Amino acid sequence: MSHMQIELELNGETETFEASKADSLLDVLRANGYTGAKRGCDTGACGFCTVHVDGEPVTSCVTPVAKADGASVETIEGLGEQDDLHPVQQAFVDNTALQCGFCIPGMIMRSTALLDENPDPTEQEVREALSDNLCRCTGYKKIVEAVLDAADRLEGERAVATDGGPQDDADGRMLDSGCPPGRCDCSGGEP
Amino acid sequence: MSEDDEPAKPDGGTASQSDPVEDERSEEHPLEWDEPENNDKAPDERDSVSHRAEKYDDRKLVTGQAKYTADYEERYPDLAYAAVVRSEIPHGRVTDIDTSTAEAMDGVEAVLTPESDAVPDAKYTSAGQSYPEPSPWDMHVLNEHVRYIGDPVAAVAAEDRATANAAVEAIEVSYEEDDYVTDPEAAFDSDAPQLFEDDEVENEIVGHDYNRNRMAHIEGELGDVDAALDGDAHVHETEWETIRQSHANVEKHTALAYTNEDDRHVLITSTQVPNHTRRQLAHLFDIPIRDIRVTKPRVGGGFGGKQAMVVEPIPLALSLATDRPVLYEASRQEEFYAMRSRHPMKVRTRTAVTDDGDIEAIDIYALSNTGAYGSHGMTVAGNVGSKPLPLYSKVPNVHFEADIVHTNTPQTGAMRGYGAPQGTLALEGHLDEVARDLGLDPIEFRRRHHMEVGDLDEIAGMMGGEGANRRIRSCGLSECIERGKEAIGYDDLEQPDADHLHRGIGMALSAQGTGVAGDELGAAQIMMNEDGSFHLQVGGVDIGTGADTAFLQIAAEVLGCDEDDIIVKSSDTDVTPFDYGAYASSTTYISGMAVKKAAEDAKERILDWGSKLLDEPVENLETGDGTVYSENSGDSVTLEEIGYEAAYGDDEREHILGKGTHCTEESPPPFAAQFVDVTVDEETGEFEVHKLVVAVDCGVAINPGMAEGQIEGANHMSYEMAVSEGITLDDEGRAEVSDFDEYGLPSATETPPIESILVETHEPTGPFGAKSVAEVPTNTVPPALSNAVRDAVGVRIREMPITAEKIRAKLDERGG
Repeated sequence: MSHMQIELELNGETETFEASKADSLLDVLRANGYTGAKRGCDTGACGFCTVHVDGEPVTSCVTPVAKADGASVETIEGLGEQDDLHPVQQAFVDNTALQCGFCIPGMIMRSTALLDENPDPTEQEVREALSDNLCRCTGYKKIVEAVLDAADRLEGERAVATDGGPQDDADGRMLDSGCPPGRCDCSGGEP
Repeated sequence: MSEDDEPAKPDGGTASQSDPVEDERSEEHPLEWDEPENNDKAPDERDSVSHRAEKYDDRKLVTGQAKYTADYEERYPDLAYAAVVRSEIPHGRVTDIDTSTAEAMDGVEAVLTPESDAVPDAKYTSAGQSYPEPSPWDMHVLNEHVRYIGDPVAAVAAEDRATANAAVEAIEVSYEEDDYVTDPEAAFDSDAPQLFEDDEVENEIVGHDYNRNRMAHIEGELGDVDAALDGDAHVHETEWETIRQSHANVEKHTALAYTNEDDRHVLITSTQVPNHTRRQLAHLFDIPIRDIRVTKPRVGGGFGGKQAMVVEPIPLALSLATDRPVLYEASRQEEFYAMRSRHPMKVRTRTAVTDDGDIEAIDIYALSNTGAYGSHGMTVAGNVGSKPLPLYSKVPNVHFEADIVHTNTPQTGAMRGYGAPQGTLALEGHLDEVARDLGLDPIEFRRRHHMEVGDLDEIAGMMGGEGANRRIRSCGLSECIERGKEAIGYDDLEQPDADHLHRGIGMALSAQGTGVAGDELGAAQIMMNEDGSFHLQVGGVDIGTGADTAFLQIAAEVLGCDEDDIIVKSSDTDVTPFDYGAYASSTTYISGMAVKKAAEDAKERILDWGSKLLDEPVENLETGDGTVYSENSGDSVTLEEIGYEAAYGDDEREHILGKGTHCTEESPPPFAAQFVDVTVDEETGEFEVHKLVVAVDCGVAINPGMAEGQIEGANHMSYEMAVSEGITLDDEGRAEVSDFDEYGLPSATETPPIESILVETHEPTGPFGAKSVAEVPTNTVPPALSNAVRDAVGVRIREMPITAEKIRAKLDERGG
């Protein structure tokens, strides 16, 4: 098989990977340890492999890696850390929005793309944005609530920044979600 | 998130229940349960149970750090990849397999056929059940006699996926074709093509008659149903049909097998049943149980589809043949045609009901299509009767009968609800129709008859075994109905302005079980570290349900420590105590009670050390806030001080360990009341579901947020059963669905709003009052939507899915 080198701006770092011409972006990401994106169908029908390419959400299983050469790629690994979650990740946790979690990295990447473009979506807009990302566990209810909650959190964060209040870290992560992690009965970070 | 006006904390097991009724059989199955005082804590005394604790694995899941089976790929540099050759004909014999081209390909490591040494000859069932399995041993790992389009014939291991798939394409299989049958009624005819000779099956099941393709027949009766049907009461008869639903697990069936440096065989696999899989592999490959290790990493959903050893033998056989680790990850297409699905059924219900609306008799008959093999065939069919019928435990004459037949169609198996969805449609749709026919309010009609606290349920056990003569000690059905009615707006439904639009509400009740009565085992162990933290080792299997979190909440409640101070290790047969696995709504109840017992065992040792350090009698001491404290003196000592003293003390030392094992004859039913609000266009038959409301009595919800999540997800799956086609087949039994695009899994925009309501009772036999939650809301949308359409426009759809075309056809029929 013909091999090639692929250069990606991956989560802000320049990376070079060996790849075969037939490889999808998902193949290359997973072969190099970026296993947060999941293989669900290989046809772009489930959304579990969603990542951002040049800021747009794409299903990486049907994106030829050659097409992504030189592109900026964001994966779930570039969002938050376990002890420093991105507000969208924190909202998913606080809203009990996930069960098995297999669809969740794709769901979160789809959600961050939505909120970048539309910071204050309606419930219907959230449902439409997530309609290409399937979930078998949740019935979507708590996922939709988590995304709406995340929009509020990000809005609050921006308001604080505008006020010149306590600043977030460089990546725009909230320093304090308002509730102690996991020890909160409010179920969503709202008072 | 809860509605603003809902309390953040649920009522925690204080739902109103009707007064119990005593009868003469009370002694044998007493209403009073010898419940330990510590099991019935008031809501405000609970530190961990009843709280919306963060799910234990959520942080690694939302950051993409969690590992599912396929994510272990990178740890095995010499990993080979498996692919499977599957039958392209519905029925016949393999006469030749030409593997020469495939074997000559670069990168192909092994090609296995039924003749290969590494492939077991033994028969088995894939069903992950207790032993001996109540399913026939009618399968081979690779088959010469193929019985459906999808039967595995040969397997390949290659150095990468693409090569493995190319090798599969290069293998030529020749067949001698046999006649086939795909319709269950046709298959039941004695002239139909026969799938099995008697000598092709071991561990045969009651009522089998392979000349008629019947793998099992079951029957049970209380009273005299025929006499009641022949009496003066009104007799109604209805027939119902359900879809072939796919589990559509988001993570496909995946298993990785290798032999380690101790010459022991390790399976990392996406399973609900690690211990059963270990036993089944030992049987198949003739390897001692001790030499097999089955570990379950994170699992991307099971829903019953992984309550089976579906794929594990193939990578193990290939690993033995190649002496390399082998990963088999089914394709999405294989998920739809070669894994498992829900049994499609035709169910007939008959009742005798008096003028006054008393139900004299219920009779249910089910014809279940088990497909090419019999895994879970008999037990699923049994649950068509044994789950819904006990809802009406006061009915004196009850009969249930089922035939389970083979067809040359894809395999079926366990699926969330396990027969109860099919039975609930047939019973709850039927009773709604009877009530309307007799001019009774459908809800009041159910209310008069449904189960109550104190009832002695003889129906669940009338076919023998499971759930025999259950005393009902918790039942929130009345409150489920009340709160559901209120949430759906039952009493103030507004009709649309347009004349051709009609709005209606349908209701259905449901009961499930909590574990298989008398046929479950769970076990757990707790080890204390010197810093006062704990390791919880538990066989119970978290397949994405949050079971690990429920376990640690139960343990933390007993130990009086923070949840963060417990590390959970579950489902590794080398390390964790035995467990039957995640099925039959058993995990919180059975495995959770084992965890509670283990924690109590450890607590006893902790209090003993506390007594020594505080110089006070154990009777004065309790655990809480990470300490042992004295209610008398107010003195306390931290768990960390106890941990260090126990490990490094001067005169005496002890590793504080607790163990617990749990089995029971009890299987208390959880309950649900489902409401559906629909508007139907009488000109086109098109309909819009405005809302699903489902109120569930799951006993005490150990984690209310997770319990709501279970209910919402189950109702979504139930909605799919009501409105989607499922896996449709062509005339040869070939699945017409090969991808999510072709399968009707409702998306975020296609799913109606779902409101889940927790109606918490206290079940004295469960850990801190808990019973099950995950299955019961799977059963209810098909009948409730059928009833809602009937309410809206007066026509009845009995054959799932409910579609605009069917409604319009019925309206035309009525109009004409």
